[in-house]
Amino acid sequence: MKVLVPVKRVVDANVKVRVKSDGTGMDLANVKMAVNPFCEIGIEEAVRLKEADIATEVIAVSVGASQCKEQLRTCLALGADRAILVETDEELEPLAIAKVLEAIYEQERPEIVIFGKQSIDSDNGQTGQMFAALTGIAQGTFASELRITDGKAEVVREIDGGLQTVLLSLPVAISTDLRLNTPRYASLPNIMKAKKKPMDVTSPGDLGVDVGARTTVLNVAPPPERAAGIKVESVDELVDKLRHEAKVIE
Amino acid sequence: MGIAIEEENHYGFRLSDELILLRDQIRRFMREEVKPIEDTLPHDAIGCGREDRIRLRAMAEAMGLTRLTVPEEYGGNPVSAMARAVIAEESSKCRLGGYAPALGAFGGGPPNIIWGGTPDQIERYGIPCVEGKMRAFVAITEPTGGSDPRNNISTRAERDGDEWVLNGRKMWITGAEGADFGILFARTRDGTAEAPPEITAFIVEPTFFGINFNEIKVIRALSPYEIILENCRVPVGNVLGTVGQGFGVAQSWLVDARIPYAAGCIGMAQEALDMACGWVKQRPTRDGMLADKQAIQWMIADSEVELRAARMLVYDAASKVDAGQSGKVDASICKLYGTETAGRVVDRAIQMFGGMGVAQEMPLERWYRELRVKRIGEGPSEVHRMVIARDKLRNTNGGVYFS
Ligand SMILES: Cc1cc2nc3c(=O)[nH]c(=O)nc-3n(C[C@H](O)[C@H](O)[C@H](O)COP(=O)(O)OP(=O)(O)OC[C@H]3O[C@@H](n4cnc5c(N)ncnc54)[C@H](O)[C@@H]3O)c2cc1C
Repeated sequence: MKVLVPVKRVVDANVKVRVKSDGTGMDLANVKMAVNPFCEIGIEEAVRLKEADIATEVIAVSVGASQCKEQLRTCLALGADRAILVETDEELEPLAIAKVLEAIYEQERPEIVIFGKQSIDSDNGQTGQMFAALTGIAQGTFASELRITDGKAEVVREIDGGLQTVLLSLPVAISTDLRLNTPRYASLPNIMKAKKKPMDVTSPGDLGVDVGARTTVLNVAPPPERAAGIKVESVDELVDKLRHEAKVIE
Repeated sequence: MGIAIEEENHYGFRLSDELILLRDQIRRFMREEVKPIEDTLPHDAIGCGREDRIRLRAMAEAMGLTRLTVPEEYGGNPVSAMARAVIAEESSKCRLGGYAPALGAFGGGPPNIIWGGTPDQIERYGIPCVEGKMRAFVAITEPTGGSDPRNNISTRAERDGDEWVLNGRKMWITGAEGADFGILFARTRDGTAEAPPEITAFIVEPTFFGINFNEIKVIRALSPYEIILENCRVPVGNVLGTVGQGFGVAQSWLVDARIPYAAGCIGMAQEALDMACGWVKQRPTRDGMLADKQAIQWMIADSEVELRAARMLVYDAASKVDAGQSGKVDASICKLYGTETAGRVVDRAIQMFGGMGVAQEMPLERWYRELRVKRIGEGPSEVHRMVIARDKLRNTNGGVYFS
């Protein structure tokens, strides 16, 4: 059973990002990049399926610039068997990525595709669902538990106010939530082995996919800065300000 | 035909993808595993509790990052000098980083010179250290001076039947009390006009007759010890290596440790500088933040440049060792510059923090004290300068314009 895990290269979660002064986007010059944490959970889950003898092969795939190879190498070090880079310098939106992944899906025919539920950079949270719609396969999103038995996937989903368990036929598209697992540390021997694992490079053009943008970003702005606090002299003054300035009490 | 500048023939130094990945794993380990434990420890703690240590060791084990200097045939995971340098730098980026990097998660194993011993010595002393059942010290320095061990070691060893009898004193020996054994260097023949004194390495146990320890309180929390040898009896089977060849043994121990030693100091200092950058950006002063002031910016610029240079010297020495060259002078160069730079950088970081810099709420004052020791231990700066100058003068007779 093949498992395909799409992974995105994003700004490292520990980096404090800044908006470019001209408002065209984020300033990513010399910023540390990493595997999107939700995608890393996807890799971990796939590797665990392999260790449990359920999966036979784990394939990591990324769509983006040549530097995505760094993140794919990380996935190989974490236990993926091989990697595919769909190389493009275009700004990609979720629909374009979903279409590229559909083409990869047609080539590879995996039984399970594990997405991160969102990427921590643009927070769209759309790619997995769009992919499921394009391919017409079942989807189990926001998974906090995954069990594969008898050709079916039992997925515990994190939904508003509780958990929902669904039983889906394979093939299936899963998206990971935070509680699904805690990704392991890559061991030094596996880091060294990753170098020798295969990494194929293709492009949207080779796959016959049009990744042209449908949307245009007009402006990116940081959240307004909070005004500094003030000290009040008395409770009466506080109540007065809450009532007349902040207007939070009647 | 031009030369294409591609990754394959990049000029200058670039850390390999593997080592970058390894570095990132350790950074996460420090943030997610080490820091939370450290936050519960007293400011000057010298280690964490047993349970935490066992848990950290188990994780490090799964990462293949324990027993890095132990040969494979004895259950080790030997890695390149470059990998050790990267691990040393990153694992030192914590409050206890000076003397318990990553709270002792990585590394482990006996002083590497034990592997030059007899099969029996390896069995009795080497393997138990690998298994974490024994701990050892190394005793070279004496009250007569540590800078010139060959001439200053005056502890004497005299053969008496099946035993050697040792008399003398050792000073400043880290981890001596409570260790299961130590490798101790003593003079077995005086020097003459033609030949220097002969030194021999002995494996001593604290239970042997005639050996005693006294704690010496110093600037750092982890104490060294004085060792007093009064007719201490050591079985002949406990000579490590050949009688009279101990100086070479001592040298190989010292040289091996110097590169990661420098890297660890650079790690602490880098963390101190990074902390200071965060601080000065949010510390308001008259018309602006501290970060806007040139006096502060110059401290930051100088520190960053010096740390990068220091790191390059570490990588340079490590790559020589990995290429099978001696690396002795290179190790001296990076030890000298790494420890001195780290001391300066932490000093500046403290200055930028002001009062908070010396408060025990911050790790800075602890690093400051511990880095002071690093310019004396593993060969003081002056001795390394002597080694470097001697080598330079020996190999250089003038340049193109003077010969
Ligand atoms: C906390 C701590 C832990 C230690 N742990 C150990 C250990 O585990 N095992 C061990 O064997 N040793 C250990 N040492 C000893 C350390 O290696 C020695 O302190 C060091 O080698 C210097 O020796 P010394 O203190 O005798 O100083 P000295 O040799 O007396 O030197 C004093 C000063 O003079 C300088 N100097 C010496 N000779 C010259 C010269 N020819 N020209 C110019 N300057 C010179 C030195 O650089 C130094 O600055 C430890 C020391 C400390 C402080």
